[in-house]
Amino acid sequence: MAQGIDAGPEDANFKVASSPANAQKQPPPESPKSIKTRGFVILSFWAVVLLLGLPVWLWTTSIHRARLPLQHMLDWADGKTCKPTFPLQITIEAPFLQEPEAAHLVRMTQHALDDLNEFSAHHLRLRLAKSFLSRDFQNASMTSIEDEYAIGPLTQFGNTDGLDEEALTVRLQPQPGAQTARAELQSHSTRLDVFYVSHQSPSVSSSSSTLATFIATKLQELFAEEQAIVAYILQSAQTMGHAPQISSSASSASREFRSRSHRSLNPELAARLDSRMTRSLKYAPTYHITVSLFTPSAAPSSWEIELALAEYFTPLLDSISGVSNFTVDTQVQLYATFSPSVHSPEYDAEQQIWTLREEDLSGFINAAEWPLSPSIGAGPTLNFVLYVPDRSTSPLVVRGSQASSWLIPQWGGVVILNPQNANATLNEATLLKESIQPALLTFSHQLLSFLGAPQTPPSLPLQLQTLTRIRAASLLLSASSTMGSLAWVTVALPSIAIPETVSSAVDTTLGHLRSTCEALKEGRFKDALENARIAEIQAEKGFFEKSMVGQVYFPDEHKVAVYLPLLGPVGVPLVMSALKELRRLWASRKAGQPG
Amino acid sequence: MVIDRRKAILFSSAAALRFILFFAFPSLPDLLTGRVEISTPVTSFKRLQEGLFLYTHNAPLLLPLFALVPPSLFSPLTALLYILLDLLCANALIKITESGESGSSRLFTSPRKDMKWDSIAVAAAYLFNPFTIATCIGRPTSVFTNCAILYAITQAVSGKPITSMLTLGLASYLSLYPALLLPPLILLCYDRKARDTKTPPAATFSTATFVSVFSASIAWFLYLSKVLTGGSSEYLASTYGVHLLLPDLTPNVGLWWYFFIEMFDSFREFFLGVFWLHLGGYVGALCIRLRTQPLFVITTLLGIFAIFKPYPSISDTSLYFAMLPLYRHIFPLMRYTFFAMATILYATLLGPAFYYLWIYAGSGNANFFYAITLVWSLGLSEIVADSLFAVLRDEWEVERPEMKGKDIRQI
Repeated sequence: MAQGIDAGPEDANFKVASSPANAQKQPPPESPKSIKTRGFVILSFWAVVLLLGLPVWLWTTSIHRARLPLQHMLDWADGKTCKPTFPLQITIEAPFLQEPEAAHLVRMTQHALDDLNEFSAHHLRLRLAKSFLSRDFQNASMTSIEDEYAIGPLTQFGNTDGLDEEALTVRLQPQPGAQTARAELQSHSTRLDVFYVSHQSPSVSSSSSTLATFIATKLQELFAEEQAIVAYILQSAQTMGHAPQISSSASSASREFRSRSHRSLNPELAARLDSRMTRSLKYAPTYHITVSLFTPSAAPSSWEIELALAEYFTPLLDSISGVSNFTVDTQVQLYATFSPSVHSPEYDAEQQIWTLREEDLSGFINAAEWPLSPSIGAGPTLNFVLYVPDRSTSPLVVRGSQASSWLIPQWGGVVILNPQNANATLNEATLLKESIQPALLTFSHQLLSFLGAPQTPPSLPLQLQTLTRIRAASLLLSASSTMGSLAWVTVALPSIAIPETVSSAVDTTLGHLRSTCEALKEGRFKDALENARIAEIQAEKGFFEKSMVGQVYFPDEHKVAVYLPLLGPVGVPLVMSALKELRRLWASRKAGQPG
Repeated sequence: MVIDRRKAILFSSAAALRFILFFAFPSLPDLLTGRVEISTPVTSFKRLQEGLFLYTHNAPLLLPLFALVPPSLFSPLTALLYILLDLLCANALIKITESGESGSSRLFTSPRKDMKWDSIAVAAAYLFNPFTIATCIGRPTSVFTNCAILYAITQAVSGKPITSMLTLGLASYLSLYPALLLPPLILLCYDRKARDTKTPPAATFSTATFVSVFSASIAWFLYLSKVLTGGSSEYLASTYGVHLLLPDLTPNVGLWWYFFIEMFDSFREFFLGVFWLHLGGYVGALCIRLRTQPLFVITTLLGIFAIFKPYPSISDTSLYFAMLPLYRHIFPLMRYTFFAMATILYATLLGPAFYYLWIYAGSGNANFFYAITLVWSLGLSEIVADSLFAVLRDEWEVERPEMKGKDIRQI
């Protein structure tokens, strides 16, 4: 490179050269024409450098930093913008009570609930449903004209449609002859039946009522775990999410909030929730589920898994599709042996069972030989393994607990399927869908706990509702903290580029975070989750923008290494020739002045 | 008459040699087509064939030309076409030589101008140059560009500036970089025009005319491409974008590919700008310094392009080596011919070997091949610099005849 460049400016120099034969003889002076030409040549190189090179340099090395609403992002991360609240709407149906009586009961129950509740972010709001005796009870909650006890008069009815989802319906029914009230939760609907003793129903004038207290306690019990989880999520977001505090104002509001939530969580519960949270999977918009059949022998070699999945598993996946999407595939592996580190099952003659040691459970999955690939689909993979032991070693259970299924944190679940009865021999080669059913039910439970659903209450719709709320909350917090981290990164690293895509992702995130927060306030939890999901995806997209990350590891001193080859061979001849030329001009001017 | 017979013999023997190579060794064209020294991503014949279906990477106007050829006759007809192109180039060289521009231009006449090769010898040096033959067999599209450049020069020295500008427009349309030849070619056209007329025409007016003809020619070709590609402008990015942005880093004999493989992503654009400015930076200075000999400016620029352009191949070198024999009279003034020729031979022989070691044998790495392309470029730049020196010394001896034959020392 240098060679070519040198050829230009230097060519003029040998004009003043002399031959060695008469070295002492001074060379004739350069002609003014050649001096002028040389000046023009140097000028032409410098013109290219200054007129084209300089703009190119400025244009190509300038870092494009899109404007980000830093303060808003930090406010979100600090929890200043949004204090998530979870107002749960509970409808009380009291078909056998007079309306004023019922309203009074509701009011008193609400008071009792408010007294019981320590955690203000998550509270239950009661309202009275007007229902008619003639209606089918089963549908009463669906078709009733609702009287807005908590919110307002009937005039708002039109626009409250869909504004809040009902978390639970409490149906009060008198139960003549019983001594105490009792409550019964329907396991497949969101209904709590309360059977009360007739004389417990309060009169309008009384200020306290055992029935009201009973209902309040029951409700509190039902939602205790959810409250604990929500409190836990909010608390851990407060303690973990702000490691990089930029704004020295370590927001007194959040500190106060933290101490308050600390108070509301006893350490034992917190520890339990901790272990639950580590078990559950990190949120992903899509999970892949692999259901595998492993057997140490040649049978069963087929299973009616498609039918079984369609009947027992897909309905669950459909009902949680609002939280995440799932893709499912299945596989069968015959002659699947244990890994050598696992002790082979031992026979317990007393109980006539084969047992596995509990400490071997973690090594039960033979990762080396069983084809359980860590990631097949778009998202993280959950593995559900159905293990059918050999006839000679069945029934096979875990020693001690005698359980036949267990969870592997962050990975999946295992069920050992022992042939239940003698007629299994009839159809040994094929597992019928009926025999897979219990395993699939276990898998469903395991799936729910992987997603972070609570164990109580025992009603699936309620669990799913809870899941919706806690997912919305955790996504809201995680997207907010991602925003905070992004803001922090952009402030801390002034040399990284911020492309427009990041700025638009941030705008989308903040917009959806706002909608999430509003939806949570108004009790529209499905809506909140939907917005929170978009916010999370956009936040991640913005934070992990590829063109931004590349520059992070490029310190300024590396730039010297990049520019040095340029400054050396190209810069030196250019600068030297320019200096020489300028000196000549100066000298000739000085010589011209006196003369 | 004598000249014509010699010309006929030369052309027929050159064509016969190529025919033999094409048809007696049927695998040779395909082999050479795949060589990185001959085919770059922008000029590869293989890609041209693909482009017949995909319409990318090559300037679109070439595609209909090849699309006219029936597939069954594709191979022999393209062979014929490339042989014809070589002969056309040789014909152009003969005309340039006969114009005598290299020995005596309007503003400068070399004292050595009689020591020259005749036009047939210059054409023979082109036609029997192994680089030219390999290029012809390898069929890269750069042959079209080379031919257009040679014809632009021919038209200029024949006093037809308008056709010269149109042809340069075609060359620039095909490969972009010939546009840098515009300033020296304008000087050349102007000089020839001024020599033929008694009073020199107005410089600014002629320049403006030439530039507008050149731009009109390019605009016309671009318009034609747009019509042929169905009104889409996407070919612009996929043809000229490739030259400017270097997205394809397939190894070639040039210096760009390795540099941009190693370059940090964030500085890629900056160094693309630097490399292109480096390529263009010589134009102005050479035109100023060698104002008296614009044809030599063009020759030197062709040499610089063969070294520093984004996707160089030996076809660019063969073009430079085609122009160099016009300056036979300065050869005695060159100081490092042996060194330069030895370097080039060395690189020519070792280049394919190192490429084989890297790509096929796996016993070498990219540095092997890059090192040899550096040697190749060193040899070429040696020739460029040395010939430049020789021409300047030739000029200087006109100024100071007493220094003739004496050594030069920088003081």
